[in-house]
Amino acid sequence: MIFLAATPGTHPLTPICGNQYVNLQVIKFYYCAVTVDTLVSSAVAIAVTLAIAFFIASRLQPGVPSKLQMVLEFLLSYAKGLIGETVGEDATFILPIAATVGLYILVANWLGFLPLGFTPLLKPANSDLNQTLAMAIVVFLIVEGYAIKVRGLGGYLRYFMRPPFPPLTIIEEIIKPITLSLRLFGNIFAGLLMVYLLTLLPEAYAWTTPLSAVGVIVWKFFDVFFVGTIQAFIFMLLTIIYFGQVREGLEEEAHRAQAQTRGPAERVAATVTQS
Amino acid sequence: MNHAIAVAGALIGAGLALGGGAVGAAVGDGLAGNATIAGVSRQPEAQGRLQVIMFLIIGLVEAMYFINLALGFYFITSVANGVS
Repeated sequence: MIFLAATPGTHPLTPICGNQYVNLQVIKFYYCAVTVDTLVSSAVAIAVTLAIAFFIASRLQPGVPSKLQMVLEFLLSYAKGLIGETVGEDATFILPIAATVGLYILVANWLGFLPLGFTPLLKPANSDLNQTLAMAIVVFLIVEGYAIKVRGLGGYLRYFMRPPFPPLTIIEEIIKPITLSLRLFGNIFAGLLMVYLLTLLPEAYAWTTPLSAVGVIVWKFFDVFFVGTIQAFIFMLLTIIYFGQVREGLEEEAHRAQAQTRGPAERVAATVTQS
Repeated sequence: MNHAIAVAGALIGAGLALGGGAVGAAVGDGLAGNATIAGVSRQPEAQGRLQVIMFLIIGLVEAMYFINLALGFYFITSVANGVS
C-alpha cells in the first residue's frame, strides 16, 4: 500500500466542540468537527496557488512574457471573453471569483499526481465532499446575491414563479450547488478509488505487481492531467454560466417595458424588428 | 446472516448502478463524438473549437458516471459498516 495509507472515503474526523451530528440516514452530518487531512491538503494547495500567482506577479514582463505567464494570461483572457459573452461587459467582479476558483481547483487536482499516500495525512483536497460543497455553496450564495441585486427582491421572487411549474424552478435552483460539488468530488474521488483498487491487486495475486504499477502510472496521468484539468475548467465555466443565467431574459423585459411606454405604431415596429 | 444478505444486496445494487451508468456514459460520449465528426466534416476549419467543446461535453457526461461510482462505493462501505 504505497500510494494510499488508508481506504479512500474515510476522512478521520477531529471534533472541535463536541461530537454531535444530524443523522441523515445515509450520511451523518457532523456540524462541529473538521477533517484535518482535507484542511492540510487544501492549505498546501492554497499555498502553492498563491506562490505561483505571486511569483508571476513579481516578474511580469510586458514585452516577452515567460511561458507560465502566457498560460495564465491565456486563461484569464479566455475567462474574460466568456464573461463578456455570457454575462455582460459590465460584470467584471466575476473574473476574480471564477479565475481563482479555476486556478485553485487546477492546482489542487494536479497536486494529486504526487504520491501523497507516503504521508497518511495528505489526500487530493477535492476528494472530500466537504471541500467541494463549501466552494459550490460560496459560488451559489454569490450568484443568488447577484440575482437579488440585478432583479431586486420582488423581481427575484417573481423569477421563481415563471411559467412551466414553480416548484420545478426552485428545485432547479437548489440542485445547482449539489451537482456542482458532486461532479468535482465524484471525479477526484473515483480517481483515488481506482488507484486504491489497482494497489489492492498485488495483495490478491502476487504476479500482477508490474501490471498494477504500470496501471497506476497510466491511470494517474489520465486522471490528473485530463480529468483534473477538465473538471477545473468545467467548474469555472459553470460558475460563469450560472451568473449568466441570472441575467437571462432581463434584456427582453427591458425591451417590452420600453415598448409599452411608447405609442402603438412604434410598438408594432418594435415587435417586427424583434421577430 | 443478516449482514451477509445486506452486503450482497449492496454489491448487487452497486453493480447494477455501475453497469447502467456505464451504458449511459458510453452512449453520451458516442453522441458527442458523432456530432463532432459531423461538424468537422462539414466545416474542417472549425476542428480546434469543436474539439474543445467536445472534451467539455465528455467531461460533463462522464461526471455523472463518476458520481455514480463514488456514491456506489460510499453506499457499499456504509452498508457494510452499518448493518451488523
